[in-house]
Amino acid sequence: MTVLPEVNQLGFFEIRLESIGGLGANLAGKMLAEAGIVGAGVDGVSFSSYGSEKKGSPVKAHIRFCEFGTPIRDTSPIEHPHVIGIFHEALLASGAASGIRPGGMILVNSAHSAQRIIEQSDVRGCTVAVLDATRIAMEEKNKVNMAMLGGLFRLCGFLDPAFMKDVIAKSLGKKYPQAVEQAIRVFERGYAEIQTMESLAPAAEESAAAAAPESPFGYLNQPLGGVVVTPGSSLLKDLSISRSGMLPAFDPATCIHCAQCDTACPDLCFVWEEQPDKRGRMQMFLQGIDYQYCKGCLKCVEACPTDSLSRMLEEEGYAAANRVKQRFDFVEA
Amino acid sequence: MAIDYSKEVRQERVKQRMVYESGNEMAAYAAHQIDYHIMGYFPISPSTEVAQHLDLMKTEGKHGIRLVPSDGEHSSAGICYGASTGGGRVFNATSAQGYLYMLEQMPVQSGTRFPMVLNLVCRSVSGPLNIHGDHSDLYFALNTGWPILMCRDPQAVYDMNLMALKLAEDPEVRLPVMVAYDGYFTSHQKRRVQTFEDRADVMAFVGEKSPEGFANALDRENPITIGPYMNEPDYMNNRYQMSQAMYRAEAVFERISAEYTELTGREYPVLDQYRMDDAEVAVFVMNSASESIKDVVDELRAKGIKAGSIAPNLIRPFPQRQIAEALKHVRAITVGDRADSCGAHGGNMLNEVKAALFTHGNRDIQVMGRVYGLGGKEFRAEDGRHFFDLAIEAAARNEVAVPFDFYGHTPGDPLQSPKRLLKPLNFDDLKTGLITVTPNPETGKLAVKIPPLRSLTKKPKRLAPGHGACPGCGIFSGLELFFKGIEGDIVTLFHTGCAMVTTTGYPHSSHKATYLHNLFQNGAATLSGLVEMFWERKRRGEFEAFGLQEDFTFVMVTGDGGMDIGMGPAIGAALRGHRMIIVEYDNEGYMNTGAQLSYSTPLGHRTSTSGVGQAQQGKSFHHKDTAQIMAATNIPYVFTGSEAYPQDLVKKAAKAHWYAQNVGLVYGKILIACPLNWLSPDDQGANIVDAAVSSNFFPLYEVEQGITTITYNPEEKNKKVPVTDWLKRMGKTRHLLKPENEAALQDFEREVELRWNRLKAKHEHPDL
Repeated sequence: MTVLPEVNQLGFFEIRLESIGGLGANLAGKMLAEAGIVGAGVDGVSFSSYGSEKKGSPVKAHIRFCEFGTPIRDTSPIEHPHVIGIFHEALLASGAASGIRPGGMILVNSAHSAQRIIEQSDVRGCTVAVLDATRIAMEEKNKVNMAMLGGLFRLCGFLDPAFMKDVIAKSLGKKYPQAVEQAIRVFERGYAEIQTMESLAPAAEESAAAAAPESPFGYLNQPLGGVVVTPGSSLLKDLSISRSGMLPAFDPATCIHCAQCDTACPDLCFVWEEQPDKRGRMQMFLQGIDYQYCKGCLKCVEACPTDSLSRMLEEEGYAAANRVKQRFDFVEA
Repeated sequence: MAIDYSKEVRQERVKQRMVYESGNEMAAYAAHQIDYHIMGYFPISPSTEVAQHLDLMKTEGKHGIRLVPSDGEHSSAGICYGASTGGGRVFNATSAQGYLYMLEQMPVQSGTRFPMVLNLVCRSVSGPLNIHGDHSDLYFALNTGWPILMCRDPQAVYDMNLMALKLAEDPEVRLPVMVAYDGYFTSHQKRRVQTFEDRADVMAFVGEKSPEGFANALDRENPITIGPYMNEPDYMNNRYQMSQAMYRAEAVFERISAEYTELTGREYPVLDQYRMDDAEVAVFVMNSASESIKDVVDELRAKGIKAGSIAPNLIRPFPQRQIAEALKHVRAITVGDRADSCGAHGGNMLNEVKAALFTHGNRDIQVMGRVYGLGGKEFRAEDGRHFFDLAIEAAARNEVAVPFDFYGHTPGDPLQSPKRLLKPLNFDDLKTGLITVTPNPETGKLAVKIPPLRSLTKKPKRLAPGHGACPGCGIFSGLELFFKGIEGDIVTLFHTGCAMVTTTGYPHSSHKATYLHNLFQNGAATLSGLVEMFWERKRRGEFEAFGLQEDFTFVMVTGDGGMDIGMGPAIGAALRGHRMIIVEYDNEGYMNTGAQLSYSTPLGHRTSTSGVGQAQQGKSFHHKDTAQIMAATNIPYVFTGSEAYPQDLVKKAAKAHWYAQNVGLVYGKILIACPLNWLSPDDQGANIVDAAVSSNFFPLYEVEQGITTITYNPEEKNKKVPVTDWLKRMGKTRHLLKPENEAALQDFEREVELRWNRLKAKHEHPDL
């Protein structure tokens, strides 16, 4: 009989996964829930936060485990989880670790040490585990989610990894038997390679839940009919989190300014400027890439007829250092 | 599996089996066990998964339901209605606008008394568009003459689906029945659910066949006339019969539900009551919230407060007597409505609960109502506590302070207002003069000159960056390329779809010029109205003060889905000849709702409603030739284009601009990549659409003033590739290259060849 290590007042052990679309957190959440409910024989419920969101946008998965006989009634998102799995390190900055219970555990997909995560983000009174799931996924040509799942199983000791391997074998075995071994290897590496450290700073009195910020525009001042009176304002968004490891690097020396990249780019990242050419005629010249909007699809590299654009494993700080900002015709303040 | 059944299942007579599934999966699971004859469906979130799960099970050969992908919910309701007149069993699922689009058909079906089961996966209604859960769509169903069963969790979705069919077909009822459950909260929430293990037990419960003795349209020996023209008092009598049947449905439901309890141990009284025996304060909320509130009741009870909650398991017929009875000794109740009945001084449930109390002589209870949880706003324990606080206060004061209000709305900061961020686009920047279009009176065609792409980078982009499309999405590269060919100002209308959703997430917008949205069956009509308003206001001189330099170019942007459901209005607008452009980004499926098949999906392609497995191999019919359909309306200009051939597309955009300004409606189709759902690498979009063009699957051509010209002929350029060169590049089509699918592949290749040869004949002969 499986015994849950700890439960909240309503009797639940709660797990929240924080990710971006495309990393497979939804599937990982589903598998984790099934491992508990079908495999370990506890009861529970699981769901994902859905929006009309696409690959590359934030998604969350929620899992509640409980003993049999515990009424399962709450359908609201998990605010104070016992375990949080963060599939993309950058999500830490937007409150992915918020609401963790004192003594809880946070698993972060990161190449950094647990100590650095603790130092750089305000995570207190819990255990921080890191796993370089992105690297494992790249090395094994597999998905981040399998590695993260391995790490999460390690943190949830009441779940049986053998059951999970069985689920992987069954779900992939029918269609892609060759993929089974690979997925299980990634899972095992995730299980084995996590590094943990306790955050000794005392937990905040009531660890802040990720409360949705209240919009300054309510019923007193929201423009009638939901009209958006700030066209073009999506330029304020930072989409760099959508990249899953790669980005295009630009070498101006070999650029012939043919604009094939500009044509191919779905995200309007290429920055141009009119300058005189060698003969003094005004011409458009490519200045660079605005990485704030680049999702790393690399269509531009594919389109580039020279070696000017190339694919590159994103290094920390590269995008910020090499970003050429788009120029917008702002209304003067 | 280590499951201790004794802990889960009470006394029961049928063998049960536990599954761990979501509400949508359970609706589909029940339908597959019943093995309905027909489902005519159309994708809309959050109900779409029901059809997807059924398709998946069909792919695995697990049921025999004929799944008919319709061209819109109005059609899906028509398919279901028509099928139900034929004496078999019919099933459907929809949500929100989908339900509203079929609304007209609902009383047709109930009034002519043909049973079926429709799952309404409850969602807010537009506009502004919101896809999340509330009961706004459900409240439109209250007056349709359909009994409505309510489901608070995935278990109830399964159970009610079995009971619904039996209720619908009962000789005392003979009405179509709706099963309503909460979008996302229940539809996408996975829970442990008990099901009938043996299909035979399901059939023994619902009946092997519909009850005999009712006329149907397929009985040769008993010809009948369905749906006559009917005057009063006959119509009045028809409606009275319907009303009686509806009220009988309550007792019939109680009978069926008692039988169900016998079989399964699960109870569904007409009114679910929680700790109501001695309750002094109560809350009424429906479906998923009616479960959450029970935790609050327990909490208050622990503090010594006599709290209870009630929630109906059916709301049509409305359990008036039971509600009045349950509230006999209650001193105050808060009724939560997850939808407003704008202007009625209360949501529908508040007013119906009040009517129940009034009718049954309970005038002493304090009743107040709150509209809560709209557009997916969560109903948390703290919200439940607030509802009880209202009731406790009213009970103490013996009066209600505020009988009706919204709950959960926020005032905002009146000192702030959204500030314009960007200046309006500079007209001179948009009117570059780099593109020239000259009519040639001899040929009747336009001569177009465009500069190198490099020069066109000077022209401002029509969209701002920061949209939320997937990496490698082909929509925006395709659209921006098209817009490059248009000089001057544009006003756009986007149909519902990926391009709309990813560019207009409130409070942001990626559109620099004026943009509007309408639901994707109706954009062409909507934009045609705006176009005519423009010309009429211009004729009346109303723009002179604004310094309008040149006429707007009006562009409607749609996906291929919008050209399915919106085909009628698009043809209507084309025939009327409004001066506007319809540009379609064709990614071969309903990608915004999760990659269901569209009519533009080619034969054999895998989508979430055309699965690949032992029983079927992808989509079963050929792709729609939308360009040829639009050409047949004899509009001045029709084109196809692709980002893989940028000069060709920019030239066509320039022509489209000219025709839309000077002559009439233009239609163009751009094939664009969807890496997510084509199961292809993010960086390969342009190469894949190039292969589609070079294999002659997607020929680049135009029909200008009725004359067809192929603008890029891969055969002449020696660039022709086999269709398989295109198919091998996408995960959604790779199965077509396997030997077992050779017949389907050949069929597809023949169709591509046939259409290409026909096009060449048209190209060669101006009269074709």
